[in-house]
Amino acid sequence: MDFDFTDDQEQLRDAVRKWVDKGYDFERRRGIAKAGGFSREAYGQLAELGLAGLYIPEDDGGLGMGPVEGMVVMEELGRGIVLEPLAQALIAGAVLSSYAPADVKAAWLPKISGGEALVVLASQERAARYRLDVCEAKAAQAGANWALTATKSIVPAGDQADAFIVPAQVKGKIALFLVERTAAGVTTRGYSTQDGGRSAEVLLKDAPASLITLDGLAALEHATDIGIAATCAEAVGVMDKTVAITVEYMNTRKQFGVVISSFQALRHRMADMKMQLELARSMSYYASLKLNAPPAERRAAMARAKYQLGVSMRFIGQQAVQLHGGIGVTDEYIVSHYFKRLTQMEMSFGDTLHHLGEVSGRMQDTAGVFA
Amino acid sequence: MDLAFTPEEQKFREDIRAWVGANLPADISHKVHNALRLTRDDMQRWAKILGKKGWLGHGWPKEFGGPGWNAVQKHLFEEECALAGAPRVVPFGPVMVAPVIMAFGSPEQQKRFLPGIASGEVWWSQGYSEPGSGSDLASVKCKAERRGNKYIVNGQKTWTTLGQYGEWIFCLVRTSTEGKPQTGISFLLIDMKSPGVTVRPIVLLDGEAEVNEVWFDNVEVPAENLIGEENKGWTYAKHLLSHERTNIADVNRAKRELERLKRIAKAEGVYEDARFRDEIAKLEVDVVALEMLVLRVLSAEKSGKNSLDIAGLLKIRGSEIQQRYSELMMLAAGPFSLPFIEEAMEAGWQGDFPGGLPGDAPLASTYFNLRKTTIYGGSNEVQRNIVSQFVLG
Repeated sequence: MDFDFTDDQEQLRDAVRKWVDKGYDFERRRGIAKAGGFSREAYGQLAELGLAGLYIPEDDGGLGMGPVEGMVVMEELGRGIVLEPLAQALIAGAVLSSYAPADVKAAWLPKISGGEALVVLASQERAARYRLDVCEAKAAQAGANWALTATKSIVPAGDQADAFIVPAQVKGKIALFLVERTAAGVTTRGYSTQDGGRSAEVLLKDAPASLITLDGLAALEHATDIGIAATCAEAVGVMDKTVAITVEYMNTRKQFGVVISSFQALRHRMADMKMQLELARSMSYYASLKLNAPPAERRAAMARAKYQLGVSMRFIGQQAVQLHGGIGVTDEYIVSHYFKRLTQMEMSFGDTLHHLGEVSGRMQDTAGVFA
Repeated sequence: MDLAFTPEEQKFREDIRAWVGANLPADISHKVHNALRLTRDDMQRWAKILGKKGWLGHGWPKEFGGPGWNAVQKHLFEEECALAGAPRVVPFGPVMVAPVIMAFGSPEQQKRFLPGIASGEVWWSQGYSEPGSGSDLASVKCKAERRGNKYIVNGQKTWTTLGQYGEWIFCLVRTSTEGKPQTGISFLLIDMKSPGVTVRPIVLLDGEAEVNEVWFDNVEVPAENLIGEENKGWTYAKHLLSHERTNIADVNRAKRELERLKRIAKAEGVYEDARFRDEIAKLEVDVVALEMLVLRVLSAEKSGKNSLDIAGLLKIRGSEIQQRYSELMMLAAGPFSLPFIEEAMEAGWQGDFPGGLPGDAPLASTYFNLRKTTIYGGSNEVQRNIVSQFVLG
């Protein structure tokens, strides 16, 4: 039982933090958001740091690192509310490494590591909401070739990505496929999201696809859990910075002739925000440290973590705006952007009510971290 | 980073579990597991069993006869005791006054008082709060006047937990009214059998007399019972309050009680009710998050790092969780938690419990009793002041 970071992990954190501080300030972010919400250049810089290949084995061109490193990186990106979806690279790297046949790995892993290819999960369907076992997309087989027909929504940077990881039905079971964006039968409609980022509606009509695995549900659950752990870590970074911004504001803003941090009602609100932040950080550690556990244990842990993170994100986001007063609801000031990011993350990979249901459904007679 | 305990820590846990399993009397653990009333004898029997093994002062360093365990070992010991259904060790002797005597007492005082605390023979009480001094503890008025080689003590202490059993009491007394309130306080050990000491139980909302008022009327206390220096008592008191930070979260007991809540919810037929079950699920996450918070503090202590910013959160969260599980237990039984039948809270009661199950008897009383947790030990509002001081400066 040990929650210290190694020197290597601290160095990784410093490197990412330095890039965020120097290379991704608020003005650059605003520019990227205005220009559509995704910058290939910024994504390339993340890849240059090696981050896109974080979960890809060294033999395939990656760094071969684990969940704690993933957590450290995502926390730092969260601090700068970076729009480029690195979590998707973590998911794609891990899923292809674990489940894809050798030729698919050879074709894609080095390109993902190097940042030449952005591969994202395209799984969201209208009828499924947050359920992973609901999937209307269909895969048809003709000889060695597969063709997919599907409508996938809110696909991160979907009109900018190079390929999609797509769940689709094969004989009543979910399988996982890789589809290139430039393939025949693929159309995308990109748009900005509430947090300033970018997503797309992805339509597949008999689009050629490579099979990743026929055991698609297990792989999709794994992918989602990597996404949950990454989102939890990223959210901790966002909240950490949100709290810091609010603390600074409270210690500067004067009303009634004194700084507003002198008012006990506001001080206690901040104590409650600190509580939510540390509960969230604790559960983010928990999620990352359970990411390599057997599937049932892993799924239960992710549900617990995402539930806590959802509660914390909503509280901290809302209270940060409240404590800022009028300036908190402007576009000009930074805090509203943190709030919107937190709001969007609550609805990524399952919202708070969804995960409460998961926790409830999986409840055992025992209790605690080790149960 | 690693969530798992080391093999040595696992082995330590297993050894503790085996020993507790073999030595904790079954009649006592039955009462704890079912929230039945514990007698003085129950509490002291367990204290003496621990004392004989050298584990009543389980947080003590080796030089004072303790096992010299580190923060993680202490946590594992407390966890195994809690899960097995051991009563909480009455903390006033081994956990509260002993560390003060070790840090600030004279060798004579250490030799005189520590053995009786370590063995569980002597029952200690705490004389801190007064009618006018709750959260504002530094305002204590109970007066000790030096006359020759004695102090003459006059005044009143209150909320003295289990003081009706107390043989000795450690008190914060006012020895000076000059300067800041904190600078005129002394730390005095008082024999409760001294003439002029009166203990009067206070009946609480659950019908039990768990706390007391203690009156001092010209009580003569030998000057040799003063800890450290006169007027330095506030420093010693703060040392006491800073001790055993993780234990205050009581997460081990929360785990045990969450399991009990699930059993109660099943027996009462609400476990499959989605609205009720979701409330348990929320608490399940709360308990895991609290345990992670505790483990983070322990890990920091183990590697000598400062974790004061999060340690302050433990009391707030731990107490809220205690209140919540007791609330849900009561709500699980619903109307059947309402009959107030005191005999049914005693072990071995064979009567018919009206409408519900015999196990329903203590549920509401426990809920009422645990309202204290957000008030004592520095109210949660005072804790929020402390937390916000860390965050905002």
